[in-house]
Amino acid sequence: MKTKKVILYPLASAAAVAATSLFAVTPASAHGYVSNPPSRQAQCAQGIVSGCGDVVYEPQSVEAPKGSMQCNGGGRFPVLNDNGKGWRATSVGSSATFNWVLTARHSTSTWEYFIGGSRIAVFDDGGRQPGATVSHNVNFGGRTGRQTVLARWNIADTAMAFYACVDLQIGGSGGNPPPVTNPPPTTRPPTNPPPTTQPPSQGGTWRAGTAYSTGSTVTYGGATYRCRQAHTALAGWEPPNVPALWERV
Amino acid sequence: MRRRAVLALAAAVLAAGCGSPAPQEAPVAAVAGPHNETDVMFLQMVLDHHRQGAELVALAADRGRRPEVRQLAARMKQQWADESRTMTAWLQGWGAPLEADQDAGVHAGHGDLHSLRPSDIEELKAAGEADFDRTALSLLLGHLHNTVEVARMESGKGANADAKALAGQITTTRQEQVQQMLKLLAS
Repeated sequence: MKTKKVILYPLASAAAVAATSLFAVTPASAHGYVSNPPSRQAQCAQGIVSGCGDVVYEPQSVEAPKGSMQCNGGGRFPVLNDNGKGWRATSVGSSATFNWVLTARHSTSTWEYFIGGSRIAVFDDGGRQPGATVSHNVNFGGRTGRQTVLARWNIADTAMAFYACVDLQIGGSGGNPPPVTNPPPTTRPPTNPPPTTQPPSQGGTWRAGTAYSTGSTVTYGGATYRCRQAHTALAGWEPPNVPALWERV
Repeated sequence: MRRRAVLALAAAVLAAGCGSPAPQEAPVAAVAGPHNETDVMFLQMVLDHHRQGAELVALAADRGRRPEVRQLAARMKQQWADESRTMTAWLQGWGAPLEADQDAGVHAGHGDLHSLRPSDIEELKAAGEADFDRTALSLLLGHLHNTVEVARMESGKGANADAKALAGQITTTRQEQVQQMLKLLAS
């Protein structure tokens, strides 16, 4: 008993000093990700995709302020935004069940799922703590082909969310086509006028509030981008921020 | 219980003056060299993880539907027992408590969130056949990720060579298990 007390004091004071460096940095930053169908960070952790950096050790740590449309939430691990990384697309039908692995069970406001900038599903937990497991069945609203689903776990009592992008081949055509094949033809020379037939192919400067159709092009920050998914632009969805919507040409 | 029986048997054998010792677990090699508070915290936290996960891994080893799940859980159970024995001996060798002082404030605000809750174990027990493996693997994955975080903290900030070697070994073995479990979840 006596020795215990003697040892505890230095420990407690060392801990007080070290608390920020030891704990605020590591364990506090980790919480959850989509394990199945395998999200990009799960594919890194599983070794399916290499060259991911430290996210292999902490696929649960893709945390950033709420509201981003990027696969990494705009925070650490920008490798997750790289569409040319060879992510494997999981073949699914018209809907799929998304399974989460959690390392901390934060009270939750919502779980959101997006394709191409459109929210396709939301599950409102009303501030409750998740149970042992979390899974959601999400319908893809008739979308087919290769798609990237962005999943967001919005924490109720902080400004943060957890992000996971899940690459899918919807429609059960099977197999895994090479990545980034189905967005509009990229084989054309970089002269812009898109030969696609979509009516509003502006070619103008990107503007929030504009409805863009697949294949249309815009300029932003001196670069030209081609629209990968029809959507109405919102502030924060500037082309360089949302690789799911805009491909640089 | 069993250990007590083994010890009693060993004592009886020794008392009888028999030369060959009863088959016992090999003694843990003493930890050498200096250590810092990160080393202590690492051992305490991983010991705590193993305690928390004991029921989970036992359930998975027993009730897993797929043989791969049962085998993996059984291996993990053995591995945690071996590691716990080593870590306990090291902490005792340093004269350090086996558990972090809950009043130190170190875990404040996060201890509960990052822990397996009794309700998680209850949900696993209640899971039907169709959900058991998915539930067990999801819980085990979360649990291992937390252990890896503590091991990586040790690798970065620990001082003791033996403890850091153990941390490296924990990271490597857990990453392999994470890969296996992610694969099982996806198949």
